[in-house]
Amino acid sequence: MLKRCIRAENRKLHTSPIWLLFLILPLISAGYGTFNYLQNLEILTDGWYSLWTQHTLFYSLLFFPALVSAYAAYLWRLEHMGHNWNLIMAAPVPPFTLFLAKLFVVVKLMCFTQVFVYLLYLVCGRLFAGFPGWPPAETLVFMLRGLVGGLAVAALQLLLAMLVRSFAVPVFLGLVGGIAGMLLAAKGYALLWPYCLMQQGMNSNRSEDMLAGRLPLFFLACGVWLLVIGLTARLLLEKRDVKA
Amino acid sequence: MQTVIETKALCKQYGSRMAVDHVELHVPQGCVYGFIGPNGAGKSTTMKMLLGLIHPTAGQVTLLGQTLNEKNRLALLRQTGSMIESPAGYLHLTAQENLEIVADLKDIPYKDIARVLDIVHLTQDKNRRVGQYSLGMKQRLGIAMALLGSPKLLILDEPTNGLDPAGIQEMRTLIQSMPAATGATVLISSHLLGEMEQMVEQVGIIDHGHMLFEGPLSQLQRHSRGDVAVRLLNPAKAAPVLRANGLPAGDSCTVTLPPLQDALLADLVQKLADSGAGVVEVTPHTKSLEEIFLSLTGTEAAHHE
Repeated sequence: MLKRCIRAENRKLHTSPIWLLFLILPLISAGYGTFNYLQNLEILTDGWYSLWTQHTLFYSLLFFPALVSAYAAYLWRLEHMGHNWNLIMAAPVPPFTLFLAKLFVVVKLMCFTQVFVYLLYLVCGRLFAGFPGWPPAETLVFMLRGLVGGLAVAALQLLLAMLVRSFAVPVFLGLVGGIAGMLLAAKGYALLWPYCLMQQGMNSNRSEDMLAGRLPLFFLACGVWLLVIGLTARLLLEKRDVKA
Repeated sequence: MQTVIETKALCKQYGSRMAVDHVELHVPQGCVYGFIGPNGAGKSTTMKMLLGLIHPTAGQVTLLGQTLNEKNRLALLRQTGSMIESPAGYLHLTAQENLEIVADLKDIPYKDIARVLDIVHLTQDKNRRVGQYSLGMKQRLGIAMALLGSPKLLILDEPTNGLDPAGIQEMRTLIQSMPAATGATVLISSHLLGEMEQMVEQVGIIDHGHMLFEGPLSQLQRHSRGDVAVRLLNPAKAAPVLRANGLPAGDSCTVTLPPLQDALLADLVQKLADSGAGVVEVTPHTKSLEEIFLSLTGTEAAHHE
């Protein structure tokens, strides 16, 4: 059942403008990161690690939540427009499966984005920063952990976009969430705020591992957020009247 | 005959307003049932409750012999095709892609898509984006989505809304043929009785959330017996006869009689003729279905202003 719903969601992305965003935002993010790195060579002396921090700091707190918010808002916008809520809710599938299918698709887009961002990091490192060799394998682990942290953001943004009929409002809330995340992370509350989890996983502002020794706690935080958001979405989908 | 849709004391309350107030629907198997009422009468709300899209405040819905609940909802939806509140669809995709999405959700093989496209005459345009479609084409695509998988029950909300006369005629032919062609029972709503007259066998009339009438169309037509106008040459001679029968009499050459059974009318005309009143014309007025509808829904006054 989930598989069929995912196939339906994937088909909705066909010829959709979301792919343009997918290409442009990471490019801006990488350009910004590389520029920052090259401007501050005297303090950023850690090679690939330094470039990593410059590439991922704004990416994980701004560009990433913006992109994921846009993916999520776009997927629900398709249902908010016309009378598609009636169509999907009168289909013989459990309503929560529709949410899960959208989550799957957002996570898929998120994976593509992460891969794209990593490729840009490699290209920028070799081409513009002129590093010899390849970045430490640890950065790949950070990338994967970032994905796990991003799950909570994806789920929360899907929930927001499901409830708010506008496209811009949930995207704006996503950005606010990311910026609030910067402040909360600075105060040490990072694991309590879903928008920080991505940045924590990506290890984006220091060369040493921010999650050293706290990895189980990090995974727990991701799991709890996913569970809470998922249950809320399920309850709302099953108990609320459909408004098309 | 089995009843395919049945509701008992179905209610939906929004704030203090009863959008649907103790509605009792009985839709027999294999018929086209016209669910008729003015805009805002509660038609869409009732239909949404039939599909479980909104939750009733009170009452129950029975579909295909089963009382609708959380557990059997999906199984019942699998046997139901619907189009609620104007057609749905993804405008950036083609009709074919839209139907593939619906087929995936309904778990129906894609080969059924060609069949429904053919039924609604969209085969030629199946690879065009739905955004470029006219309203009539979108309505037909909506019907095609509902028809996918040959459901036993079709619930169509205002499928003729916004169509031009040719489109309405086409939709009418399409819907009329459905029970015979697919064995489906069709519940169809409209705010225009005239539009329905030629395609439905059963009607339910709703206004302000109340059912005003339910039954075969022919029974509704029986309500159509109207006044009888009698033109006389000598109204003064007719007066005693009319008074003797408890009817008002005047000096006018035309007397309006209330709806009477044929035997009584014949008797009265005989007496009038015998009195020498000079009966030259007897004209029965038949109410049009539109007039019956308006008198039932009590919107006649508003309509004539």
